[in-house]
Amino acid sequence: MSAFAAIGKSARRVEGREKVTGTATYVADVHPRGAACARLVLSPYAHARIKSVDVSAALKVPGVIGAFSGKDIGGAEILAIDEVFFAGEAVAVVVGEDEAAAEDGADAVQVDYEPLPVVSDPIAAMKPDSPLTRASKGESHDDAGAHGAAVGGAGTGRPKPRNVNQMVEFQRGDLAKGFAEADVVLEDTYRIARVHQGYMETQGSVAERAPSGGFTVWTTTQAAFGARDATAKFLGIEAHEVNVIPTQVGGGFGGKFVLVEPLAAALARRVRRPVRVILDRTQDFLVSHPAPGAIIRMKMGARKDGTLTALEAELVFDSGCAPGAPVGIAALLLGGTYRCPNLDLVGYEVLTHQVDPGAYRAPGAPQGYYALECHMSRLADAVGMDPLEFRLKNAVKEGDIRPDGRPWTRIGLIECLEAARAHPMWRNRKKLGPDEGVGIAVGGWGGGTEPATGGCRVNPDGSLTVQVGSVDITGVNTTFALIAAEVFGLPVEKVQIATNDTDHAPYAGASGGSKTTYTVGAAVLAAAQEARTQVLEMAADRLEAAASDLDIADGRVFVKGAPNRGVTIGELARLANRFGSRYKPLHGQGRAAVHTASPGFAVQLCQAKVDRATGMPHLTGYVAVQDVGRALNPAEVIGQIRGGAVQGIGRALFEAMEHDEGGQLANATLADYAMPTSADIPDIDVVLVEVPSELGPFGAKGVGEPPAVPGAAAVVNAVEAAVGVRVLNVPIKPEAILNGLEEGGTR
Amino acid sequence: MAKEKTIRVKVNGAERRATVEVRRNLADFLREDLELTGTHLGCEHGVCGACTVLVDGEAVRSCLMLAVQAEGHEITTVEGLTTPDGDPGPLQQAFWDNHGMQCGFCTPGMICAAAALLRENPHPTAAEVRERLSGNLCRCTGYQDIVASVLAAAEGK
Amino acid sequence: MKAAAFDYEAPASLEEALALLQARSDDAKILAGGQSLMPMLNMRLARPALIVDINRLPGLDYIRVADGQLRIGALARHTAVAKHPEVVRGWPVLAEAAAQIGHDAIRNRGTVAGSLAHSDPTAEHPAVLAALDGEVVARSAKGERTLKADELFLGYLTTALRADELLTEVRLPVLPPHTGSTFVEFAPRVGDFAVVGIAAAVTLGGDGAWQDVRLALTGVGGTPFRARQAESALKGTRPKAADIAAAAAQVAEAIEPDSDIKASARYRRQLARTLTERALTTAAERAAGQGGR
Repeated sequence: MSAFAAIGKSARRVEGREKVTGTATYVADVHPRGAACARLVLSPYAHARIKSVDVSAALKVPGVIGAFSGKDIGGAEILAIDEVFFAGEAVAVVVGEDEAAAEDGADAVQVDYEPLPVVSDPIAAMKPDSPLTRASKGESHDDAGAHGAAVGGAGTGRPKPRNVNQMVEFQRGDLAKGFAEADVVLEDTYRIARVHQGYMETQGSVAERAPSGGFTVWTTTQAAFGARDATAKFLGIEAHEVNVIPTQVGGGFGGKFVLVEPLAAALARRVRRPVRVILDRTQDFLVSHPAPGAIIRMKMGARKDGTLTALEAELVFDSGCAPGAPVGIAALLLGGTYRCPNLDLVGYEVLTHQVDPGAYRAPGAPQGYYALECHMSRLADAVGMDPLEFRLKNAVKEGDIRPDGRPWTRIGLIECLEAARAHPMWRNRKKLGPDEGVGIAVGGWGGGTEPATGGCRVNPDGSLTVQVGSVDITGVNTTFALIAAEVFGLPVEKVQIATNDTDHAPYAGASGGSKTTYTVGAAVLAAAQEARTQVLEMAADRLEAAASDLDIADGRVFVKGAPNRGVTIGELARLANRFGSRYKPLHGQGRAAVHTASPGFAVQLCQAKVDRATGMPHLTGYVAVQDVGRALNPAEVIGQIRGGAVQGIGRALFEAMEHDEGGQLANATLADYAMPTSADIPDIDVVLVEVPSELGPFGAKGVGEPPAVPGAAAVVNAVEAAVGVRVLNVPIKPEAILNGLEEGGTR
Repeated sequence: MAKEKTIRVKVNGAERRATVEVRRNLADFLREDLELTGTHLGCEHGVCGACTVLVDGEAVRSCLMLAVQAEGHEITTVEGLTTPDGDPGPLQQAFWDNHGMQCGFCTPGMICAAAALLRENPHPTAAEVRERLSGNLCRCTGYQDIVASVLAAAEGK
Repeated sequence: MKAAAFDYEAPASLEEALALLQARSDDAKILAGGQSLMPMLNMRLARPALIVDINRLPGLDYIRVADGQLRIGALARHTAVAKHPEVVRGWPVLAEAAAQIGHDAIRNRGTVAGSLAHSDPTAEHPAVLAALDGEVVARSAKGERTLKADELFLGYLTTALRADELLTEVRLPVLPPHTGSTFVEFAPRVGDFAVVGIAAAVTLGGDGAWQDVRLALTGVGGTPFRARQAESALKGTRPKAADIAAAAAQVAEAIEPDSDIKASARYRRQLARTLTERALTTAAERAAGQGGR
């Protein structure tokens, strides 16, 4: 497997031309003839009974075509009908000739609310006297589950506090004994804020009634088939009656599964015109499903030699107004990254009056690892060990048992830690100037699985067309081109990728959970291999040789040892597409149902210098080490890792959806919800570690989630290394660091 | 005091004439009336930079300018930075070749901002590029390959 | 996020503009650079019935020195001010303030006069105007008046400008020789509105002692805060680190900031102290260094 023709060589994006010239089609660019625009009316209350919705004034506004309450549209999952459970929940929708007219109409909708008691903080919600979030439980958004984040543990009879929808528990060994054996026991409580995926393109869908009576839906989704099924279900029609055309996705990160597709289709049916539902930034902040905030109490014990003896953790995840917070995966990873004989982990999924969270890059993992990795560095300090050596001593490897009793498969955590140890930033960390330090943190992701199909057509010009039903959110199409090119020994430019609509595409699951290359890539590999077999069989007939005696190079099939006896792939495809049907067309189909995930680990080093005047940490260097199995397209893998790392840094320094006690989101603009800019971020040195997966194509593992995991703890640990101030809550408030400095935080 | 106005604007070198609502912003005018959908709207309050275009050669947020204000001015959008045949221009090619884009949504604004920067400072340092492009948010790349793309374009690579 | 409907006029002369403002003083809004107004229109936080776009007024984008003053026309953009050679040489505090506003694309459109008329409590230019004892010219169909900073700024987004008035010119005095000035601010994220900022200009006498000290802060209240007590405490002494620290502590003591989502009042005081220290040190170095400005 060492000498690859295409794999492992950086290829630029197959769709790059359209993106750099501005010709790529995003959902807001879709304008079917006669399209109208919709605007949501949102609840200003976090909890209220809807007494009435009066759209009559809206209907009189010039340019308004239709106005509908939740009752008019039906289906409380799209528009609230009787009760709203978070501030920003949609209660009505207005359709107008353009967006401005629709907004004029939306301003005129009169809604009469009866405010009800609000609880917006999960800790408050768990108290016995808290208002109940919901009388009956809502339906779960399974976006996190689609990422592979759905896990649970057995219950042990702990009481379930108020407003807790679900508890997850993992136990092992004897916790009390473990703490008794420890030389050092450390306890702290960590908070990590609710954050938004922050995709630059807001969510939206455009729907049109098809001549057949069904619906065509253009949408910015990571899951075309999922969007199809949800839309059909809402409309009460068969799935095949909806054709979802996935557009370019202007950033998803887990946030774009299904949101306004069903509404767009329902409106197109009601107003008998194509309807565009494009959320503006503020509405997107209010109605989409962000990543939950978490409060995690950690108590760990270790011996002087660095052996972990006990780990106790209590994880509280704010699940908003419906179940779906990934507390299980958080607990599993938090308790499964280091070997520890005595464990007690309990996770609470708490319902509050906020929007229910969805998936965001490694759902649950950034929260869990934030607490774990801050605590590990402090525990290392407390036992007098180097934080990296302390991690290495306890890090899990293949065969070690996770908290759920299952063994880890082939993982590269130790290899990543060793690579970090060898990096100059780590080796030179003691030589830095004043107020500067290096922090380390680990992050991991279990990986996801989902079945997939792919097609590979051989064309008369000697090129290949790969057909998939997965959405490209991370450069996977370019990777698919590399995979097919590799199988045929062709240059990557000879492969086109067709991302088809759901009427025409081979089935694929959602693009999320770092599993698209791993699963759809496997299907593409199988399809290309089948097409190659067909090519060889046909060539064998043409060349009167055994297929096993043939080889392919430079777009030509030839007899081994007699290179002038050959035929080009293009010629074979021409013959196979000819009248008379002497040969079957050359078209490979591949199916894959990889059901064992390949977990991926990352280690990040952050170098930060704290400004003593303002308390602000400035990042002066950053290293991202990651086991990627095999980097099929190194430049894009590196780009993914950098982008993920910066999202982690964002959680550390800036990002929080700030709610007041009444449940109002105080920062629903990009001016107030701060994401890192180019000037806030240093160059990030990426170190690729390759511990090949036994299952992924050419050894590849998922790349997208792990780099987004360690950042928050890496930055916090760097601050502590720099000035000795212990930060417990992220995003870091420079004010907290300043106060820590004033209290003589330096050790 | 009409709520609509007919304007004449030079866009990507061509005279365009259209009747627009006076409240329509320049970005919507470009996208909806002229169907130049390469200019993207990421926030509509002047923070994300996705709608950045060049007005008389200077980088401007097209969501923070009314279409009627463009009357008599020259606008260049990402579509105007291609070769005459519509193929990627040098700066666009540099972004493609150097992996300076992932989801591509911020890319047109980023390229317009970079074009303005290079016009003023043809050989910026990496730090200058980071500073001058800091008004354009990107959520995918971590910015490094964008900086590399601009530097490569400056070196004519 | 589309603006509510409005009427629009782009007068071609100042007289026409002032007539419009007089006729529609109850429901008109002036559009200059638009970098604050346009977001408010898009979010429908502002719903004027009429927009008076002054960008077509001729000859208002000037930046020039005349009669012992720097004069900045209503349409001079931040970028032009930040790069103007005479501003860079003679009013570094203004050039630095302008350069720290937002990002390139914002500075290319936004105007100094517009920023003053908007009176955002964390904006840079109001502090510069206050520190340098500058004034603005307000014109209406009825006439013209000038306002000093303490007359102009009344509170959060509130000025003494009448609805029929247009802020046509900003005037800053020429700074005497041996003056050093600077603008220092802190925002966690590059390009954001400052949490706290400070404009400083100091003049050293022939004996090297503080002859004149001017300090004004932004982000510590509804209007810029002129730190007169700290200023006078320094005057007459020679620049010393301990005195600067004491003055900075005095400033932190004197301000009455609020707590909000961005920062607590306590943190604003801490920032005011450290930024004052930095600004005074830099300004004094500059004053001593090149014998001017």
